[in-house]
Amino acid sequence: MSAIDTRIEGQRPAGISLEEWTIRVDLAAAYRLVDRYGWSELAGNHISARVPGPEHHFLINPHGMLYDQITASSLVKIDCDGRIVGESQYPVNPAGFVIHSAIHMGQPHLTCVLHSHAPGGVAVSCMKEGLLPLSQHSLILMGWLAYHDYEGVALNEEERTRIVRDLGECRLLILRNHGLLTVGESVGEAFVWMHRLEKACKWQISTLSAGRELNPLSDVVQKRSVEQGLAMFRKGGPYACGREWPSLQEELRRAGSDHWQ
Amino acid sequence: MKNNLSPVTAKPLPQGVSPEEWSVRVDLAAAYRLTHRFGMSDLIYTHISARVPGPEHHFLINPYGLLFDEIDASSLIKIDLDGNVVHNPNPELSFNPAGFTIHSAVHAARPEAHCVMHTHTRSGMGVAALKCGLLPLSQVAMRFHGKVAYHDYEGPAFNLDERARLIADLGPERFLFLRNHGILVACATVAEAFNAMYWLERACQVQMDVLACNAEINMPPEGVPEIVAHSYLPETRRPYGVLEWPAMLRMLDRHDGSYRE
Repeated sequence: MSAIDTRIEGQRPAGISLEEWTIRVDLAAAYRLVDRYGWSELAGNHISARVPGPEHHFLINPHGMLYDQITASSLVKIDCDGRIVGESQYPVNPAGFVIHSAIHMGQPHLTCVLHSHAPGGVAVSCMKEGLLPLSQHSLILMGWLAYHDYEGVALNEEERTRIVRDLGECRLLILRNHGLLTVGESVGEAFVWMHRLEKACKWQISTLSAGRELNPLSDVVQKRSVEQGLAMFRKGGPYACGREWPSLQEELRRAGSDHWQ
Repeated sequence: MKNNLSPVTAKPLPQGVSPEEWSVRVDLAAAYRLTHRFGMSDLIYTHISARVPGPEHHFLINPYGLLFDEIDASSLIKIDLDGNVVHNPNPELSFNPAGFTIHSAVHAARPEAHCVMHTHTRSGMGVAALKCGLLPLSQVAMRFHGKVAYHDYEGPAFNLDERARLIADLGPERFLFLRNHGILVACATVAEAFNAMYWLERACQVQMDVLACNAEINMPPEGVPEIVAHSYLPETRRPYGVLEWPAMLRMLDRHDGSYRE
């Protein structure tokens, strides 16, 4: 165990397993990083993670807390209906968690569901054609990308079914007229997917804003790039999202973050 | 959850300032600092005004000449509805009477709106200059759908006639686009006004990004924007901004708590 791990382990409160504490530290780091990278919207939206074990318990942000204040111990444990498990000194906002719980319950192998209103993503979500095959950066994501039509704020039972169906085996979901959602078998995987998707969206906005003729890519090149993306990012593949996670945590450590408390 | 982590001020309150007034002063100074931090300030220009609790119809406003990140609770100038100065700790700095014309008109017509906030942001001015006004493209914009009023531009000098037209244009709404000029919100508290302005600004940013791309827009299904707007009304779920406010103050306190002075 490295020095940083020892420090984090030393903060673990009694009654929380090492497995749960590790997820808590990862999830708190994700909130901090989402804020640092400019994808947060005050206290809005959720990033959720499954607590290891058979109980179907999840961790979520305390309601009203800004992302740059969230710590491992302030995250709230809830069940799939958004009810607080055990005791918490903080409330939760179950409203947006409906999307998260639908995916967590529909795909139990996924650890993390990250939803953001990152600026590039929201703008692309309003465009009929969605993410365009304009660049390598967007093409290699397209095999992993799905869309879900906007139905309004409150998700009912039927929409939960549709959102799980729309996501399918993909890792990236554009919520039309709303924002972005990524999932991962680890918190780091979901975060890095979001980073890649938001970057592709921002590039698209820059490109289209220029108002000039676009340089088209042939169908052959597009198809090959999508297939390459599927191979690159597959589990265990050379670019599997999440490899960057230790470095991202180191970035937080250098910035003096106290998310691990 | 401890809802207010504000340090108790050890210093006595300035003479003639009630604890209730001081509390509004701290909130209003915080709103100026936050407006600056979130990139919505315009040097020394524009105003955020708040009503002093009590029967006197007194208001607090920024001294003309200070940047928003210099404003603190004690530097705010107290004036009446006619623009007479009631208290000014720095007589070398006065307030901008032309700018207060808009604010005083709104305060007089809408006594329940204790805080009036006006900005000149790039995206807010951008949408204010568009004939179509704010479009319900994204979920963040849909919350304002049908709740936004528009006032036509007549030039920088406000005469008394224009005040009447501005009030008639605002009607019962809380959000006003000053065409070819900027945006204005009138809300029950400083916290709600800042929050509304933050979201309105986000909605304008998304719209400007989307329109700049000149791509086909995916409009939400008919009827959905109305449902979204209803669900965000203060009386439907909660008055947005109140829950977030202590966290906003903590964010300022971590960086620079001098707004409380």
